[in-house]
Amino acid sequence: MLDYSWLVPVIPVACFVFVGLFCKKKPQIGGYIAITGAALSCILASIISYEYLTSGYYSSNKAFTMAIEWIKIGGFSINFGIYIDGLSCIMMLFASFISTMIFVYSLGYMHDQGEKKRRYYAEVSLFLTGMLGLVISSNYLEMFIFWEIMGLCSYLLIGFWSFDHPEAKEKSSAAKKAFLVTRMGDVCLIGGLFILLWVFKSLDYNALFAPDAIKAVTNNEYGVQLVTIASFLIFGGVIGKSAQFPLHDWLPDAMAGPTTVSALIHAATMVKAGVYLTARSFPLFVYNSHMGEQVLLFIGVIGGFTAIFAASQALNNMNIKKVLAFSTLSQLGYMILALGAGGYLMCVGIKNGNEGLIALGASGYIAGVFHMLNHAFFKGLLFLCSGSVIHSTGTEDMRLMGGLIRKMPVTSITMLLGSLSIAGFPLFSGFWSKDMVLEAAFGPFEEGFGFGSVFCVLFLLGLITAFMTAFYMFRMWFMTFVGEPRENAQHCHGESPLSMSVPLIVLSIFAVYSGILILFGLGYVINESLISSGINVEKYSSDNIVMTIFSNQWTYISIALALIGIFIAYLMYDKKEINPGILNKNGKSFVYRLLADRYHFPQIYDHTSWGLGYGVARVVNYFDRNVVDGTVNGLSNAIVESGKIMRKMQSGFVRDYARYIIIGVIVLVSTLFLMFLTGGFQCQ
Amino acid sequence: MSVILSLLLAIPFVGAIITLLMSGPREKLAKFVALVTTAITLIIALYTLTLGPSKYIDLDENFTWIKTANIQMNYALHIDGLSALMMFMTSLLVFITVIFSSTETDRPNYFHALLLAIEVGLMGVYLAADYFLFYIMWEVTLIPMFFMISWYGGPRKHYSAIKFFIYTHVASLVMLIGIFAMVFTAAHNGLANFSFIAVKNGFGGSALLQTAIFGLLFFGFIVKMPIVPFHTWLPDAHVEAPTAGSVLLAGVMLKMGSYGIIRICIEVFESSVLYNWQTVMIGLGVLSMIYGAYACIAQTDLKKMVAYSSVSHMGMVLLAIGCLSEIGIEFAVFQMFAHGLITAVLFMVCGLAGHNIGTREIPLLGGLAGKLPIWSFFMMFGFMASLGLPGLVGFVAEFGILYAFWEILAKMGGIYIVLIGLGMLSMMLTAGYYLWAMQRTLFGDTTDKIDLRSIHDVNKTEFIALSIVSCLIVLFGIWPSLATNVITSFSGGLL
Repeated sequence: MLDYSWLVPVIPVACFVFVGLFCKKKPQIGGYIAITGAALSCILASIISYEYLTSGYYSSNKAFTMAIEWIKIGGFSINFGIYIDGLSCIMMLFASFISTMIFVYSLGYMHDQGEKKRRYYAEVSLFLTGMLGLVISSNYLEMFIFWEIMGLCSYLLIGFWSFDHPEAKEKSSAAKKAFLVTRMGDVCLIGGLFILLWVFKSLDYNALFAPDAIKAVTNNEYGVQLVTIASFLIFGGVIGKSAQFPLHDWLPDAMAGPTTVSALIHAATMVKAGVYLTARSFPLFVYNSHMGEQVLLFIGVIGGFTAIFAASQALNNMNIKKVLAFSTLSQLGYMILALGAGGYLMCVGIKNGNEGLIALGASGYIAGVFHMLNHAFFKGLLFLCSGSVIHSTGTEDMRLMGGLIRKMPVTSITMLLGSLSIAGFPLFSGFWSKDMVLEAAFGPFEEGFGFGSVFCVLFLLGLITAFMTAFYMFRMWFMTFVGEPRENAQHCHGESPLSMSVPLIVLSIFAVYSGILILFGLGYVINESLISSGINVEKYSSDNIVMTIFSNQWTYISIALALIGIFIAYLMYDKKEINPGILNKNGKSFVYRLLADRYHFPQIYDHTSWGLGYGVARVVNYFDRNVVDGTVNGLSNAIVESGKIMRKMQSGFVRDYARYIIIGVIVLVSTLFLMFLTGGFQCQ
Repeated sequence: MSVILSLLLAIPFVGAIITLLMSGPREKLAKFVALVTTAITLIIALYTLTLGPSKYIDLDENFTWIKTANIQMNYALHIDGLSALMMFMTSLLVFITVIFSSTETDRPNYFHALLLAIEVGLMGVYLAADYFLFYIMWEVTLIPMFFMISWYGGPRKHYSAIKFFIYTHVASLVMLIGIFAMVFTAAHNGLANFSFIAVKNGFGGSALLQTAIFGLLFFGFIVKMPIVPFHTWLPDAHVEAPTAGSVLLAGVMLKMGSYGIIRICIEVFESSVLYNWQTVMIGLGVLSMIYGAYACIAQTDLKKMVAYSSVSHMGMVLLAIGCLSEIGIEFAVFQMFAHGLITAVLFMVCGLAGHNIGTREIPLLGGLAGKLPIWSFFMMFGFMASLGLPGLVGFVAEFGILYAFWEILAKMGGIYIVLIGLGMLSMMLTAGYYLWAMQRTLFGDTTDKIDLRSIHDVNKTEFIALSIVSCLIVLFGIWPSLATNVITSFSGGLL
């Protein structure tokens, strides 16, 4: 079956074509087709993963690859192929599974959208293709193709309501912003690919990640420079796609799409692609023994900063979806931080030949990927829950909700489970991975390296973020589900239909328990993808992971912070014993406004793009019309005008012609005479 | 000796004569004659293309046409990987425009005669293997296009037609001087043979002379492409030209310029001369690329925006040629091909905006995606293809070209490598103007500035025309080796 892995992305694309072309009359059928496609992909992905994990490839720590030539560029060929290892198995599984759940949920959620549903189901299928294709690609260019297809789909889906809708204008500019901001990252990424292609003469993962290949190209200064620049540029792509600071601001706006789309973007596809790319390019970063540390430090700093930066903006947001959007940003920051810190340790370890450090670094890598997996489940769940709330109350503003627990028991309980999970409540999935992330961030400091103190700061920021996360998640939960039913909550439609609540229940099971997988060899599977890409890591063992986690004092501190966060939210929004209005001067304090304005980032984007784009364009256009075209028209006018003047010479009177002849003769003779005098004529 | 290549010229020529004579009540039938003619031409072109590069040599035709003691001009036709693609695209796009313009009611016989006459000229340019024939055909394309614009054009058609004619004609005169200089420099035993092979073998002379001749030819070609700062005839011509004219103008006529550079400048001149001009080529290419993209942002007329995007994309072609590497030439040709397909869709879409909606002014439009779903789909498709969305043909071309550019920069090293940022900037700007245009026309609040009751969506023939090209855009995007295999048979070992 491994040979048929290409079917995993091909099935949804077939659904895309079929739904797009043939489901005009009965768009609801399109939904069933999309679900069938996603489910088939999921089943196939499970079979393939099972087969891979029991095959000789896995036991001998090799990725399964196959490829056909796609195009020849000069002397080297670009392939189209598949690359299956532990990482892609995990990605493939959770992406297809969560998408299936979201598609099922869409049956209920999008029910009243009429014939727009055809477009919806076609586009989400293509979106899934993008993600599945991306994770099984065997080279960077192929990956980039799917990466961009995902960008397109996110544009289309965020802008799902960008016409024939009362808020069409805002929706369409949100979609445009998402596409252009991520495009900025994509452009960087493709720059990185040029460099890699030139340096390595190939873009195949196999060729790039061979340790010897990287050593061979980084043996001179120019090679080191280029590989380093390429690393930064590739990470630039990640910054765009995974919405890291400073290209993060498209993600909150992307809430303009239907909630199911947000769930898809945040849980199963799109933003996970960036984290995946960082994980996939790990060998490139860590084998660069000259500059790799700086690259990975940069990655860690961006991740750690984004985590707290985004979390702070979630603290006072009143829109239920935007709170979740900021929490996604923050959690993505965690993942990137873990990868950066782990990579940093690994890079140092490889340089010094210290196997302990390499193993420690690998656990950072595992933490990042593991957190991505858990996040996929709980964030998918949370978004679908919020969709359920929006569906029945008709608003996204939490100030208009409240007391929904009685009317929507399933939604509120599942959302509570999701919130506990993301807040890192002990033994819920988020707890395991968040703890591993923080541990990874603490690693470089513990080992006492040059940049260790930076990572220590990042670690502390991560701790504060954990507190904030618990607080804002429960602020959201309390505002929505308990207390007095406010405006919209009073006439809510009650619990959502079965097609929506069943996915919630299924996802909540995963959201609660996926963390436990780490005890049953998940770390081993993730780690395998490092080993198969040539990094010499000892096999990961999950034997004493419980011991490590519970013997670490920081674990208790982070648990305590999470609990305090939940408790404060409880006091503020359920018991109302603390009035948040006192703290923020009823929404007038500087910090409150700064957060509510998202640190003015939307304006910064607007001004920059307006200035660098339209401003320059107007100058160019003016120049074009007046100077360039002006010259052309001026030249032709000059010829026409001079013709008019010359025409007057043709007067028809002999005396005029005689005058011209005499003038001509005089000029000619005097010229000859002058030339003769100045020695213009040389006798040979 | 095969006559296939001559047929490619003769069939449209006969078709043009027949349609021209179909005046009066029969003029309604002209489109069917044109359709059959172009369909046959397309089939022959497709057959020729699929013969494969190794068989192309058998198709050569060579007759002496004019011979005196001092000069010899030939009727010589030749085909290789470069001309095969261009020939295919010519026949394809003329066929498409005939389908697309089936609703033309204003003197349809002349209209189709002009289309077919343009096809004759374009085929001639791409197939000629003799400088005299090449030049004649080059001018032949000009005249029907002039009438196309000045008879069937928009409000300022006469100004645009004259501007188009004089501008490009002056440029071709400069080119003619270049051709004469080249042919007479290459004269052997006092006999100036105009055939490509004779000139290629006999051409020599001092580096200064060669550089100067290159300059003359190069000027002629870049005006045609067009390259900044000699591009201002293009937006004017496009804005006024009828849709069919625009499709052919942007789709295949602009490529005459880049075809000429590759066919004549690159193939004939010594590499040292080429390297003298390299900086100019790359510089002008990059300038056009960025300048065109910026100019696009400021346009309010959809068609003018697309016209400027052609400037930007043809700048890419020149940039790729200027790289003077195998990859550069390969992807320059690929981009010519890709751009031909993509602009065909773009201009058809813009033309439809004028016909079906009544205006192309972006500020008057808005929220049309709900009203005109099919038109909006094709517009979005065309824009996405043009901005280089992977999976569509434009991406492959763009990737190859920018990679070729990067290769040059990387070899130079040092601070030069940051210049790849210009390529990245153009990608960003391209995405910017297309997305912004889409947002203002297709999305947002439905416009109240035009009469929405009178607009109508794409009709059947237009849909067929758009679909064919769109399918090819997808096909070559997913399977680019179909085209690159033909191209590499030409570009491999060229330099």
